[in-house]
Amino acid sequence: MTSTDEELVARSRGGDLDSFNQLVLRWERPIYALAYRVIGREEDARDVAQETFLRAYRALSGFKGQAKFSSWLYRITLNLCRDWIRRERRAPVMQAPEGVDIIELAGEATPSESIEDLVTRRQLGRAVGRVMSLLPDEQRTAIIMKEYHGLTFQEIADLLDCPLSTVKTRLYQGLSVLRKQLQDAGVESIFEPRDIARKNTHV
Amino acid sequence: MCEGKELLVTYLYDEADEAGRRAFETHLAGCAECRSDLDALRSTRVRMRAWSPPESDLGFQIVRTGVTVARRPWVAPAWGLAAAAVLVLAAAAALAHIEVRYGSEGLVVRTGWNRGGSPAMPAAPDAAAAAASPVDFTQELAAVDRRLRDLEATASRTAPATQLAGTRGMSDAEVVRTVRNILSQSETRQQRELVLRINALAREVDRQRRVDLAMMQQGLQAASGENALRDNRMFNALRLVAQQQPSK
Repeated sequence: MTSTDEELVARSRGGDLDSFNQLVLRWERPIYALAYRVIGREEDARDVAQETFLRAYRALSGFKGQAKFSSWLYRITLNLCRDWIRRERRAPVMQAPEGVDIIELAGEATPSESIEDLVTRRQLGRAVGRVMSLLPDEQRTAIIMKEYHGLTFQEIADLLDCPLSTVKTRLYQGLSVLRKQLQDAGVESIFEPRDIARKNTHV
Repeated sequence: MCEGKELLVTYLYDEADEAGRRAFETHLAGCAECRSDLDALRSTRVRMRAWSPPESDLGFQIVRTGVTVARRPWVAPAWGLAAAAVLVLAAAAALAHIEVRYGSEGLVVRTGWNRGGSPAMPAAPDAAAAAASPVDFTQELAAVDRRLRDLEATASRTAPATQLAGTRGMSDAEVVRTVRNILSQSETRQQRELVLRINALAREVDRQRRVDLAMMQQGLQAASGENALRDNRMFNALRLVAQQQPSK
């Protein structure tokens, strides 16, 4: 039977390193994805993810289970991302390769997805990433936590230390900007949302 | 932002309670602007799912310093053997250092000779007293050296004047020469033993190195097979400084 995060945390606090590494295995992808979407650089996102787990491990004795383990990890990650942005003195960037490697794409495609569909999805993904990088940090973070990590409004409010209504405002404003920017980029008319919804379930 | 937009966002993300959801649906029925807004944002949300982070080789793992990690079998033994080789080298160096240092000062040789009991020793009471106390090693040796020099100086001034108790009619100068010869032979023997010992250690280090290389080769072959992906995780192992176990 799979252990819950809480059970693994309890065992980790008792000194069981394997249990903590199970938590790492379980959360490394979401944490990396969060870091990538906030700062936009793969290598730096990996570093942030790695540092997140190191810090979590060191601070485990201070984690009393007052929040979900994942929320605690998210908070550490967002703090590290904020430090990164401050240190680099720049806005997030979206690295996107210009060319499209057909062979690489073929390996990525699901059985029901054609190469054309995949190219479409990737182009759309890049467009979304570019627009997201233009959003103010607080709007971008709220959208990332809601859209890609499925947190509730209240969880986001707790994570970002802001009122519930502020979370909703940031989401609405951010989504509205995204909608307009994607429209201006011609994405709205080119891509059919139904195709994307059916084929992409990535976090 | 007006309350209507907050309600819209709450409805969009399906976080409204039953009463709130019904109330907003009633509002939607009579508000074209909100309907349009809601549809557009729903489409935007769907499109946003196309944005995925690039695949990245993660596989983070917390590893306590000094803990053997089994996932890449050749790593730990290689490191272990390398560490063992370093220890052997360090031991050899330390041994050589000590032996050579003492040898160059003539200390080791003289001590051995001194402790073995020599016919000349009764004539050197201060040295004999020092020999009784192994802790005061340096002083003992210095005393022997001093006594030898004294004897040599005396012999050169007054030829066969002083006779040592127990010697078979040898002059001081002859005793000194004999002692010097014994010291020299002993020193040579010690140095030869040292060289043999270092050679043996060097052979052992070399043997370990060959074992390491063979094991690394096996490990690399295994890594290139079906275990490659799993083993990749080890490259990303996080190493913590010792004693980082969380306190309870």
